[in-house]
This record gives sequence, structure tokens and C-alpha cells, in this order.
Amino acid sequence: MGPETRRGRYGIVVASLIAGAAVWEAAGHVVSGAFWAPLSATLESFLETARSGFVVRQIMSSFQLYLTGLALAILAGAPFGLVLARLRWLRVALENYIMMLYATPMVALIPFILSIMGFGFAPKVLVVFLFAVFPVIYNTVEGARSIRPELVEIAYSFRTSEWRLWCDVLIPYTLPFTMTGIRQAIARGLVGMVAAEIFLSPSGLGQMIMMGSQNFDTPGLLAAILIIVLLGVGLMDFGRFLENRFAAWRGYNR
Amino acid sequence: MTAHTLAAARPVTNGSVLRAWIASPLFLKIAAGAVLLLAWEVTVRALAPAYVAKPIAIARVFTTVISDPQFLAAAGATLGAVVSGLLISLVLGTAVGFAMGRIDPVERGLRYYVNSLFATPMVAILPLVTLWFGYSADARLAVVVFAAFFSIAVNACDGARSVPPEYLEVARSFRAPPRHNLFDIVFPSSLPYLLAGIRLAAGRALVGAVVAEFFISIPGLGYYILYNSRTFKHSEAFVAVIVLVAVGVSFEVLVNWLTRRYLPWARRD
Repeated sequence: MGPETRRGRYGIVVASLIAGAAVWEAAGHVVSGAFWAPLSATLESFLETARSGFVVRQIMSSFQLYLTGLALAILAGAPFGLVLARLRWLRVALENYIMMLYATPMVALIPFILSIMGFGFAPKVLVVFLFAVFPVIYNTVEGARSIRPELVEIAYSFRTSEWRLWCDVLIPYTLPFTMTGIRQAIARGLVGMVAAEIFLSPSGLGQMIMMGSQNFDTPGLLAAILIIVLLGVGLMDFGRFLENRFAAWRGYNR
Repeated sequence: MTAHTLAAARPVTNGSVLRAWIASPLFLKIAAGAVLLLAWEVTVRALAPAYVAKPIAIARVFTTVISDPQFLAAAGATLGAVVSGLLISLVLGTAVGFAMGRIDPVERGLRYYVNSLFATPMVAILPLVTLWFGYSADARLAVVVFAAFFSIAVNACDGARSVPPEYLEVARSFRAPPRHNLFDIVFPSSLPYLLAGIRLAAGRALVGAVVAEFFISIPGLGYYILYNSRTFKHSEAFVAVIVLVAVGVSFEVLVNWLTRRYLPWARRD
């Protein structure tokens, strides 16, 4: 790729970003202030809340919730998936139920969690956990199914120890699939985080959104949404990076 | 089931028939389901307050709820919004995705917008959507379309880009008109990607419809759950969850089946 084509490439991207910003700004001046706010007002509102430290506090609070739920989901989901990889009968018994829970819109459980566990940190962590855990288990089990039985048999015929079997066959074969699950969990967990912060006790970025909408503070609302969009993009890229990092381990032999 | 019939066909003692039946996958699955339901019943009875949903209580109210016209209307409203939102997203998303996949400047111009809105949790835009559409069924449809559109567009774009260039070259050497390129080459070869996009979009659309109903309180399964769980009728509310799970699973099974049946060479997750 020559320098000219590269410049042309960036030219269109930059032009489209500038055009987007211009449309955002113009729409804010044309449309009533209740529906949309100009980009300048949004950034002003963001800087104002950033100067007081409010934004940082809200982001930290959201992150605490998100990371706790996600970490619990990975720590519980990945080992459980691996156990299912090892115990074939347990996998056969549970795989349909795991698929079912994977396809369940977990958001439907939020009202139950609210009325049983009330307000506080724990119910919100549970919501993030429920959103994130099933992709991890589901994909790990998919990976477990892709392990060729011959590999395990050969390992057995060389009298391998249980420990070596895990290290050399089970974990390397399922890890790339687990990473796909973690990528999905990263995205779903973020939805769970915002849903928990809006529908359970308000906190973090969800609270910023609710405050913006209840006070008819459209610039504040848009600023909060913009932060979440940027967060979502960053997390999704990180998830893709993780997945690609381990994708080379995938066996193409089914 | 096959293990059972095979075992029964051979002249064997009762003991080994029983053993074959116990080792069969179907028995394992049913037994696991029974154990899970039992564990749920026992845990809730032992630890949770009386109003919390339990399998037996849910089974008791299941038929009355499922035949209640109000419940059926709610289910119809939610599923109608999900299906029509999916159809709108399918048409628009495929059009935008194909344009991005085949026309380079379009891809470069829209890439950041489509990717970043794809990564945005639809819950975050609920207040904005209610500002624009009011507290109405239109707002729910808008949330469903927002939830579903971008995953279809992203996958359609990937699909259109993965078309083998030789096909297009052959078409060009036979001077095929552009619409043949689109409908006879680009569309069929990106079908696996489109199906993967629909599968993802269906799950997101369902979540979108439910959160929209939570937020704007219009009749639907989400609102049915919210209302009944607030009045501590958890078993009734859980019937709506079962319906949502059934719909989510059916979408998943349907798309998997379509992929396996018609596009067995291209299953991607």
C-alpha cells in the first residue's frame, strides 16, 4: 500500500467523522433542545462534569460492577466448561440446558432479582454475572465437543497422568473457544451493567443517563451515552484482540 | 432412544437393557432436567420467601396464564414487535451491509458509525428513544430495530467482502449486469454470514423488546413480568420468562437447522 492510497483511505474516514460531527452539531441547532443537543453543548456538559470529578467517580463505580461480574463469570464459567469437557456424560446431560440458558434473554430476570434481593451492589453483580456467564460456558463446551476422542485415547495409551491430559489436550483445545465466549461475555456484560444500573438501584453511567433524561438535560444525556458508546467500542476491540490472540490454537480437524 | 431400541432388539437379559437405557443420552438429559428442577424447588423452599417462583407453583398456574387473553395479547405484542423489527432490520441491514462490503468509500465512510453503534448496549439509548417516539409501541419497535440492525449490517458487510473474486471476474467476462452480480453472486455467497447475523440479531431484538417494555411500560411480555413481579406473583411472571426462553431457543434452533440443512459447508459461530 503506497503512501497516496493510504492518505486517500484516511481522507474518507476523517471526512466521514467530520461530517458526522457537523451533522450532530447542526441537528442540535435545528431540532428542539428536548430532542437533541449540539455536539459542542454535549462536550461542554461532559467537561463540566469531568472537572468536578463526577464523571470519573461514575465511571469507576460502573467499572467496579462490570469487572466484578465479568471476573466471576469467567472464573466460574471457564472451569465449569472444562469439567464438562472431561466428563462426557455430564456434558451430554447438561448441554441442552446450557444452550437454553445461553439463548435466554437474561434481562427478563431483572424484576425477580429486584424484588428478591432489593437494592445494593450484590444484585447488580448478579445481573452482570448472569449476562456474561453463559456465553463462556456455552463456547467452552462447544470447544470441548471439538476435541477428537483419538487424542484422549492416545494420551491414555501412553499412560498419561490426569494433570498432563488437562495441560496438553483439554486446555489447549478449548481455550480458543473459551476466548470467543469471553469476547461475547465482554459485550453482553456491558449490556447487563447498564441494565442493572438503570433498572436496579441507579449508579454509575446508568445513573448519569437517567439523570440526563429525568432533568431534561439532553446534553448531559448525550454525553453519558457517548461515554458508553466509546466504552463499548474499546471493550469490543479488546475482546476481538483476545480472541484473535488465541485463534491460532484452534484445530481445524473436524 | 436408539441405544434403547438396539439393546432391546438383541436377546439379552433385563439387566443389560436397563443399563443401556440408563447410559443413553436421552435418559441422561431427562434425569439432569429432573435433578435441576428438584434442586430449584428444594433450594427455594428452604431459603427463599414463599412468593419466589418454584417449579411446582409455576406448573400449577401455567395453563391458566397461558390461556389468559390478556397474557396472549401481551405475548402477541412483544413477538409482533420482535418479528417486524427483525424484518425491517433484515432489509435495511442487508442493503447497508452489502453497500459497505462492495463499495469501498461507503465502507470507509460508515465503518466507525456502524461498528460503534453495534458495540453500544441498546439499554443506553432507551431514554433518547422515548424522547423521540414518546412512551409508545413505536419506541419499542425503534429499540428492536436499533438492537438488530447493526449486527445484520456488520455480518452482511463481512459476507459481501468474502465473495470469491473469481466469481465476480467470471461474471464480468460474461458481461453480467450489476443486478445479476448482486442477486446471483453476492447474495447467495454471503447467506451463511446473513444467517449468523440473524441469529445474533434475534437474541438482541428479544432483549431490546423486553427492556423497552420495562422502561416505557406498554403491554407486552416484559411489562407482564415487571407488573407481576412487583405484585409478588412470581410464578405468573415466570410463565412469561418461559415463553421468552422458548422463543429465544426456537430462533437459535431454527437458524442452526437452516445452516446445517442448506449451507452445511459454512457453519460459523
